[in-house]
Amino acid sequence: MSENGKQVPDGRQLNISQLIAETIGMEMERDPGIVFLGEDIGYSGGTFGASRDLFRRFGEWRVRDTPISEMGFAGMAVGLAMSGWRPLVEIMFVDFIGVCLEPVYNAIAKNRYMSGGRVAMPVTIRAAGGCIGVAAQHSQTLWGMLAHLPGLKVVAPSNPHDYRGLLAASIESEDPVIVIEHKDAYLRKTTEFPLGTEIPHGRYTVPLGKANVVRRGGDLTLATLSTMVEKSLAAAEVLQTEGIGVEIIDLRSVVPLDDATVTDSVARTGRLLVVDEDYLSFGLSGELVARVVENLGPNAVKGVSRVANPDLPIPAALSLEHEVIPNEDRILSAARAIVGSG
Amino acid sequence: MLRHYPGMTTNMSNVPTLLDRYRLMVTMRAFEEACAQGIPTGELRGELHLADGQEAVAAGMAGALRSDDWMVSTHRGHQHAIAKGVPLEEMMAEIYERVTGLSRGKGGHVHLFDMERRFSVTGIVGSSLPVALGHAYACRLGNSDSIAIGITGDGGTNTGQFHETMNMAAIWRLPLVILVENNHYAISVPAEEVIAGRGIAERAEAYGAWGRRVDGTDVEEVAVAFAEAVGHARGGNGPALLEAVCFRFRGHYEGDIDHYRKTVVKRRMREEGDPLTIIRRRLLERGEVDETEIAKVEGEVRDRIRDILQKVRETPGPDAVEAFRDVFAAVPA
Repeated sequence: MSENGKQVPDGRQLNISQLIAETIGMEMERDPGIVFLGEDIGYSGGTFGASRDLFRRFGEWRVRDTPISEMGFAGMAVGLAMSGWRPLVEIMFVDFIGVCLEPVYNAIAKNRYMSGGRVAMPVTIRAAGGCIGVAAQHSQTLWGMLAHLPGLKVVAPSNPHDYRGLLAASIESEDPVIVIEHKDAYLRKTTEFPLGTEIPHGRYTVPLGKANVVRRGGDLTLATLSTMVEKSLAAAEVLQTEGIGVEIIDLRSVVPLDDATVTDSVARTGRLLVVDEDYLSFGLSGELVARVVENLGPNAVKGVSRVANPDLPIPAALSLEHEVIPNEDRILSAARAIVGSG
Repeated sequence: MLRHYPGMTTNMSNVPTLLDRYRLMVTMRAFEEACAQGIPTGELRGELHLADGQEAVAAGMAGALRSDDWMVSTHRGHQHAIAKGVPLEEMMAEIYERVTGLSRGKGGHVHLFDMERRFSVTGIVGSSLPVALGHAYACRLGNSDSIAIGITGDGGTNTGQFHETMNMAAIWRLPLVILVENNHYAISVPAEEVIAGRGIAERAEAYGAWGRRVDGTDVEEVAVAFAEAVGHARGGNGPALLEAVCFRFRGHYEGDIDHYRKTVVKRRMREEGDPLTIIRRRLLERGEVDETEIAKVEGEVRDRIRDILQKVRETPGPDAVEAFRDVFAAVPA
């Protein structure tokens, strides 16, 4: 441990994909029961480089380049887990989970329940999500859809510290967890992030289901996750100059959803804005607003608002993508409107 | 580290005699008849898939199976469970959704789990096979000589999972036996109308795998072929695909009006293709046992199943609180 107990490992300039690969390596060394399956994770070290070096270190039986057969290898994870192993599955883009949703929501999510607690499903699924200009079939986040299905935990980290800690906690969990990594994060250096740049030496976990208050403010509670935390922090700086104090909560996970932390904050600010890179309807933003209003009662809440993808497929043109996903202008407008309304 | 469930021991089963297999088949049929009794009383709903007529396939597996082998079965899986040694009373209690069932009544008949006997079921056609593939991969990872058996029907061989599983098992030479019960109908659709190529067993060729078709109404023929398939897989030669051709006497599920099959065809199935009748006759012909001994076996099984059903019916269903348990692992206090 260094003098302050925290620093980037060995002082190296890691990017997030390297950090993820290192984290998986640490977990696989710690637990010889972990088996890693997915497309292009072996020879190539991962489409985003998030499994580099693992094939060489752990061999083909523990780091398995699979055929393009998501349904087959997602189902394999079920058998591996029942046999006492701890599968880690990479679905290259979370958009591809539609190919194998059957084993994910019928077996991985339900086997513990359907067996009366006699079967554990300690399966972790990592998948890349989010917009980087790659159009409708490779840009979704889908955490709302996945969170809707009982039995799955759904995690979306926002910063280097959490990318390691939440992934380690997910792999260690006795429950199935889907970790949605943002494509925009993979190639960024850990030092470039506005928060979470200090990474402890040695292994650590960030508990699943504990939100993180990343900015204090008294006028408005802004709940968000993944890369929208950073956009929201930038918007909050602007709003501060206008005299609007924004409290920002990084939810870290959709399931479990830490509505208690959000509720405590809204009890003070009276206002809730949810910023979500997922589709607007029937998802995280509506669920969180409903829970907070249920928890506090409608009279305690002066205003709620949501900034999300307005239920559109994500267009290819970057200029159009910018219109569809939450951007700083839309966050600012929504924040001003909700504070200005009372 | 690896977690081990209790009872994971390696025992070579003794090779059953023909009378043993007959007893097993009589048990399977009596067990399912006891399940069917819950339909008219309203204890069970129509979502019950019985395998009446297919007993020789399941009973043919006994002997070659080991207690440390894994089996993943289908929506029509009671007979396979019996072949794998799943306790009858706990299984019947689960089918009747009682608190003493394998899953305390939360799985029901198409979601049977018995990790001690390394047995599970999925209710989605074709999905049993990738799960069995995972078990086979685990056997290989753990350097054990256990194998996995994945079961599906003729309809299941048209799913992507079947082909993905065959492919992966073959490229990694995994110890997997895929047992296909070809009962001629994918629910209501005749198998020959929806399966391209020369047949199901022939699909093994595409993957360089062992493939064989066998008369699934004859338990002795199934036993020989299944033992060979198991020997192939256990010997490190990769997957084996065994197609057992058989008849499903009842509808796809209890309540299926089964109008897609002619009455005369159904009658002939029972007259000519009943695996119990075939073996009963053979036992007598060979003179190994007489009518009295056979009747004794049948009576013993009937009494045993009757007692189990009675006991299950006297058992309560799960408490309401049970509905809210087991979504996630309990958090340690």
